[in-house]
Amino acid sequence: MFISDIRKEFYEVVANQRVALLVSSDIDALCACKILQALFHCDQVQYTLVPVTGWQDLGTAFLEHKEQFRYFVLINCGANVDLLEMLQPDDDSIFFICDTHRPVDVVNVYNDTQIKLLIKQDDDLGVPSYDDIFRDEEDEGDDSGNESDGGSEPSGKRRRFDEGAVERRIERQRERREWEARRREILFDYEQYEYHGTSAAMMFFELAWVLTKDTKDMLWWAIIGLTDQWVHDKITHMKYVTDIATMQRHVSRHNHRNEDEENSLSIDCMRISFEYDLRLTLYQHWTLYESICNSCYTSCSFKLWTLNGQKKLQEFLADMGLPLKQVRQKFNSMDMTIKENLRDVIEESSNKYGMKDIRIQTFGVHFGFKNRFLASDMVHATAALLESTEKDESDSDNFIKALDSLSRSNLDRLHSGIELAKKKLIAIQQTVASCICTNLILSQGPFLYCYLMEGTPDVKLFSKPMALTLLCKYLLKAFVHSTRNKRCKLLPLIMAAPKDVEKGTVIVVGIPPESETSDKKNFFGRAFEKASESTSSRTLHDNFDTSIIELKTEDRSKFLDALITLLS
Amino acid sequence: MDPSEVEFLAEKETVKIIPNFSLDKIYLIGGDLGPFNPGLPVDVPVWLALNLKQRQKCRIVPPEWMDVEKLEEMRELERKENTFTPVPSPYYMELTKLLLNHASDNIPKADEIRTLVKDIWDTRIAKLRLSADSFISQQEAHATLDNLTLMEINTIRTFLLDSLNCMYKLRSNLQPGSSKGKFADY
Repeated sequence: MFISDIRKEFYEVVANQRVALLVSSDIDALCACKILQALFHCDQVQYTLVPVTGWQDLGTAFLEHKEQFRYFVLINCGANVDLLEMLQPDDDSIFFICDTHRPVDVVNVYNDTQIKLLIKQDDDLGVPSYDDIFRDEEDEGDDSGNESDGGSEPSGKRRRFDEGAVERRIERQRERREWEARRREILFDYEQYEYHGTSAAMMFFELAWVLTKDTKDMLWWAIIGLTDQWVHDKITHMKYVTDIATMQRHVSRHNHRNEDEENSLSIDCMRISFEYDLRLTLYQHWTLYESICNSCYTSCSFKLWTLNGQKKLQEFLADMGLPLKQVRQKFNSMDMTIKENLRDVIEESSNKYGMKDIRIQTFGVHFGFKNRFLASDMVHATAALLESTEKDESDSDNFIKALDSLSRSNLDRLHSGIELAKKKLIAIQQTVASCICTNLILSQGPFLYCYLMEGTPDVKLFSKPMALTLLCKYLLKAFVHSTRNKRCKLLPLIMAAPKDVEKGTVIVVGIPPESETSDKKNFFGRAFEKASESTSSRTLHDNFDTSIIELKTEDRSKFLDALITLLS
Repeated sequence: MDPSEVEFLAEKETVKIIPNFSLDKIYLIGGDLGPFNPGLPVDVPVWLALNLKQRQKCRIVPPEWMDVEKLEEMRELERKENTFTPVPSPYYMELTKLLLNHASDNIPKADEIRTLVKDIWDTRIAKLRLSADSFISQQEAHATLDNLTLMEINTIRTFLLDSLNCMYKLRSNLQPGSSKGKFADY
């Protein structure tokens, strides 16, 4: 069921209890977890934090902890599957689910006792109404009641009644069949497309606001959670802009509270500001040139994998009057005269080169004399830490490191995250360039397909779901810009990369087609399931995003063939 | 004594806070605290104030001496005098550090206050070192140490005591068996 008053029905219920937090491995979940942890620290609530990476992990974690905990809070996992059937909990376990995955499973919506959804009901959910899906079993009783009544009548009338009863029964059965067919159709439509809703971090920030315990740190984490959804292309542009407006109201409220006094605030205090900043990833922590080369937007617009593209980039820089020496220097050491009007200069020039949206609304934070970060910088840094492929580091170590990097006191961890993010972005751009230049993307009819061979440089980085999804999106954008085939521009993309060499598995990701007004709805989840069933391939649908699966390398070709037949 | 021990003792000082919750009077071993009513100022020890502030349950009111003009006057006075001037609070250094680290958003002009307190501290420590130096080199019998705080004494304690001990041993060894209290020149 949906919770209407998050303070009374969630926070006050768990405030005096021990809670288990099961948190999924993405940045939005990490930010939501930080906010909730801060609230718990204020009120000294005992909790246990368990990072989970997939359904199997969730099941194991639940089994381990079900004896000791009654209350479970699931962040960014659990809403899109019938949780009670999967976990088989005792009757007194209560689950609070705050998840951005849609569609929410109908059983979770209509269960009144054990599942509480921390989701806003007006979040364009489109849940089918109760009567369309669930039907009580009373009708059978009426039938037999009529028959028994008919039985007590004298035999003369019995046949008539029997016929009447039989007709009614046939009528009812037909009606039931129609209802079931309609129900299947409704459920199919409802569950066909997978998409994402409002950020979990924003939900928990609202909880903090309602409790009047919101601080600037929590506001910053909520902003990072929202920006993560935008960076990883999970929400539409409209939704992003609407949510930014909501956050902007909070930011001005906090800033107004502090600049109110005529005495200024200490430089160490955190200041969040609204920025209409450039879409160049990490440009303030890198050189401007590298940032332009490695950001998806600029790299695809210039087509930097071709020689022509490189020339255009040089022209672009010359047009703005930026000397190459300056542009190849670390951003912080660039001349002040250049840095002052940089954003406006770049915007003017990029309009000439066809890049109309080089600037995007976002937020930046600034504390101390040295530390300035944009929200997207933090998302990239934390994502790189979360999915770092160093040896001897388990998933939970990476989770804890990424969680730590979000606090203000762990700046060196954040800086190491930024360095890792730079390497990851360079690897992505090089892979995109090589895939396009060697025509590795094949059109398979209803979709495009690309397979990363085992020997590709940095292929280990792409064995992780978030990194591979990012690569996939950049590749599709680049392909759309570079191909002349009009039909191919509207196709979705499926990408496969080796995941585990010993076990011989590949990770397969499917993303929807690239378009200006895309609603980011992904149908590959159901498609993958059906294809795997029909060919009995050995697949593991472990990720919380159903469009990301693990598959045995040998079954790759028959799986693809099944997909092609399914989707044509 | 460790500086952290001195800071621990400093946390017993009282400071005014404005809570946002209500609680009846609490009876602790060290004394009674409260009652707490939202919006009404109450005096509590610093350790409780910091804990409540971190749990976002109160707002800390800076002590009266933590004001830019007053501290500027004290700094000028300290620089003029040769001896130690009276100090705003026996734990001014620790309180400044604790309050500015945890509650700088409640204290106006926090950066300037930090600089001023550091200036006062530096001046006093310089005087202390000069005084200790002349005390040892000229073997004076006594020195004036009023208005020194525990933290300042703590910085010089080990050095002064050890060096005086050393010198006493040296002097008493120069004349073995001679009567105590006779200072020989060297």
